[in-house]
Amino acid sequence: MVCCLMLHQVSVFAQDTAATAKQAVTPAKAKPVKNTFQSVWIIDNQTVMVPVKGTFEMDIQHRFGTVDKGYSDFWGLFASSNIRIGVGYAPINNLNLGIGIDKFDMLWDVSAKYAILKQTSGKYPVSVTYYGDLAVDTRKDAGNALFAHQTDRLISFNQLIIARKINDKLSLQVAPSITHQNSVQGYYTKNDSTGQTIFQQMKHDHFAIAFSGRYKLGDATAVLVNYDQPITKHATNNPNPNLSFGFEFATSGHTFQLFMGNYTMLNPGKNSLFNANSPFAYTQADGTKVKGGKFVIGFNITRLWN
Amino acid sequence: MKTKLMLTASVISASIMSVAFTTVQQPKPWPVPEKNAKMANPVKSSKESIAAGKSLWNLHCASCHGKTGLGDGSKAAQLKTQPEDMTKGAAQSQSDGALFYKITEGRDDMPSFKKKIPDAEDTWSVVNYIRTLKK
Repeated sequence: MVCCLMLHQVSVFAQDTAATAKQAVTPAKAKPVKNTFQSVWIIDNQTVMVPVKGTFEMDIQHRFGTVDKGYSDFWGLFASSNIRIGVGYAPINNLNLGIGIDKFDMLWDVSAKYAILKQTSGKYPVSVTYYGDLAVDTRKDAGNALFAHQTDRLISFNQLIIARKINDKLSLQVAPSITHQNSVQGYYTKNDSTGQTIFQQMKHDHFAIAFSGRYKLGDATAVLVNYDQPITKHATNNPNPNLSFGFEFATSGHTFQLFMGNYTMLNPGKNSLFNANSPFAYTQADGTKVKGGKFVIGFNITRLWN
Repeated sequence: MKTKLMLTASVISASIMSVAFTTVQQPKPWPVPEKNAKMANPVKSSKESIAAGKSLWNLHCASCHGKTGLGDGSKAAQLKTQPEDMTKGAAQSQSDGALFYKITEGRDDMPSFKKKIPDAEDTWSVVNYIRTLKK
């Protein structure tokens, strides 16, 4: 009888072991991490996030004047400002398409964003997203004073965004980019019967890299930091880096970002190529040295319908 | 003059009566298909699940349902429908499947969270968090 009981116990134990072994060989499939960022924007850059299929989004972005005039124009809030209004739609999983218009240069932009990899435990350590933007300057140009050819109006921007959600609070992102301008300013340094030499103020292609980070203070509030470093060295007119920092407030359908930074244009290609505001001490054209850089206040509002 | 006064009094009392009747109206029934109501919660109520549910609650639900689920969120007063008190029996006596169905599908003032919370496991975590609101 005792033997029987013991045998029974052994058989039960054996069954349990088998069940455990079976569970161990079929672990739950790891899912990609969620909410690396709350918005498609992190101040002046795109984040790695692509909205879920079927999401319609509207963006309203504002960059005020520079803060250096102080109270006289209320730290730039009453100065001439730049505005962009855009919309985006995710027609299929992992793809977002966008279109917008920016006040400066009446710049229309179309964009595409595709999530290539999503950070997944034991599979991918980072998320990788491609972002491409094509902008066209639609200012009136009577007599072709601004553009010799219609294609000179175009600027393209291509970026690979690599991000990692370090933990529930901290997400970091690095994003190398290349901007191409079809037309650059230049002049002849030699133009005679022996040949021509043209001096180009800038190169057509411009490489840059952006570093961004978000630290969550709560479920709906976060601190944002962003830094853009130009890499390509041009003969003249080298753009300045950009340093921006601010807060993000989220609700179920909105994100609201309020910040300070150096970029005033609302197109990544234009900003990369032409940022005139330095984040650090700089020397003015008249030789005056100015401490502390040249910043503007700005905000991004995103409304999601999904 | 007397007739005018009486007329005004009648209009005021009629308005008060109509408001009184409106406020005692029963909440509109929200039937849940049986198969959805019987759906078992596949996400075990763990510390992680409750934390995930709480985070989503604070972002998506608290503005109407209130931080602690009393239905006293900052947007509640603007709604046509009074958000249900999630701490009480009427909400807590519903099955996990019924709560999941209502969050996912939505109705009237309550939006559908199918795309706002795209992963079903997260919605189940919200259900797990709602259970902790019980008083």
